[in-house]
Amino acid sequence: MVRFSVGATLAPPGFGKLAGTVTDCSLALSIAAASVTMSAQSLGAAGRGARFVNEVEKVAGRWQWFHRLGSPKWFYEKTTRWLPWLVGAMALFLTVGIVWALLFLPPDYQQGHTSRILVVHVAVAGTSLSFFPLMAVAGTVTLVWRMKLADMVARNAAPLGAWFTFLTLATGSIWGSVSWGTWWEWTDSRLVSMLFQFFLLLGVISLRSAIENAETAARACALLSIVGCINVVIIKYSVDWWNTLHQPSSPISMEVGSPNGPEFWVATAVMIVAVYLFLAVSLILTTRNEIIQRENKAQWVRELVAQAR
Amino acid sequence: MGAGTGGAGALTAAGMGGMRMFDGIQFNSLSEFFAMGGYAFNVWSVYALFAIFLIANLALPLRKRRLILREQKRRLAVLDARDDSAREPADSAGWEVSMAGDEK
Repeated sequence: MVRFSVGATLAPPGFGKLAGTVTDCSLALSIAAASVTMSAQSLGAAGRGARFVNEVEKVAGRWQWFHRLGSPKWFYEKTTRWLPWLVGAMALFLTVGIVWALLFLPPDYQQGHTSRILVVHVAVAGTSLSFFPLMAVAGTVTLVWRMKLADMVARNAAPLGAWFTFLTLATGSIWGSVSWGTWWEWTDSRLVSMLFQFFLLLGVISLRSAIENAETAARACALLSIVGCINVVIIKYSVDWWNTLHQPSSPISMEVGSPNGPEFWVATAVMIVAVYLFLAVSLILTTRNEIIQRENKAQWVRELVAQAR
Repeated sequence: MGAGTGGAGALTAAGMGGMRMFDGIQFNSLSEFFAMGGYAFNVWSVYALFAIFLIANLALPLRKRRLILREQKRRLAVLDARDDSAREPADSAGWEVSMAGDEK
């Protein structure tokens, strides 16, 4: 601590700020912009030089948000502020969604009360498709910019995605046992591609633990996540490409009483929002855990630990 | 079936067969609600799984957070104790001298 503050007073102006941001994450572009700022500053601050410095700082400032996004500390502090709102919205939408689906949803003329299952099934199934794209985006950021935070998010998304996919399979099976008269059908493309997503997610999780070097593991998982997106496309269009058992999604209709009328899809939309909020809250909680675990040597985490009861 | 009058009227759609988007609570009694028209097992097992899924993925991270903080607090306490016993007054004085030398 002492050494750092002495160093900061000796270093040229702006160095402390730069050093702080560089240690946050190694974002090549921002570093380049910042180092140009530094060298421009050392050239002197008169006339055209000052204006040039201004311009460079503006460019650097524009990228600051992206830079900060990679900082675990920034993420932790932001989510501390967001979490109460997210949890509140999640509780509200979940309550409305569940009460609506269980009490107010009219029974389907064919499915009877099992249509209440579909509100949960459709919401969870739809949301489960977002895990591979999410992990692929985070993986790309890991591969290109080596952002620590992106890998933390990707790592914690995989087990949650497995939960989502498992619940999709289970609820679909329980619903199908009534409406299709079967719990499982190996020849149905939607069912099998969804099961494949479950195994892919287990694969991502075990790949992480199988490779000893953390950086290599992160890159391998990133690659598998990007490739796994192909399966998401297959799941999405499986019902149209190979029409076997699982029915294609009914088009949304404004007519009450039609296959996907507002009395069903509005309730489902509420549940989809609830489930997405739940995904965000759960993923934020696990990512925050990993941050305080991995950054346990940072001063701000030590202060946080000291404050905890 | 419920009458679906009152506040729900605003959301009533002029749809097919006089069906409404909100037709009130769909059950006349609690036992009818639990029976789910003969599909009690299917409906309730899905909602039970959903509840487990929601609670588990919120409670487990929160529990882990408590464990991490407790573990790190213990680790910090051990580190602090080691620091206090290792650092003699003369040692810290020497540290300050070397820092002063750095500044030159």
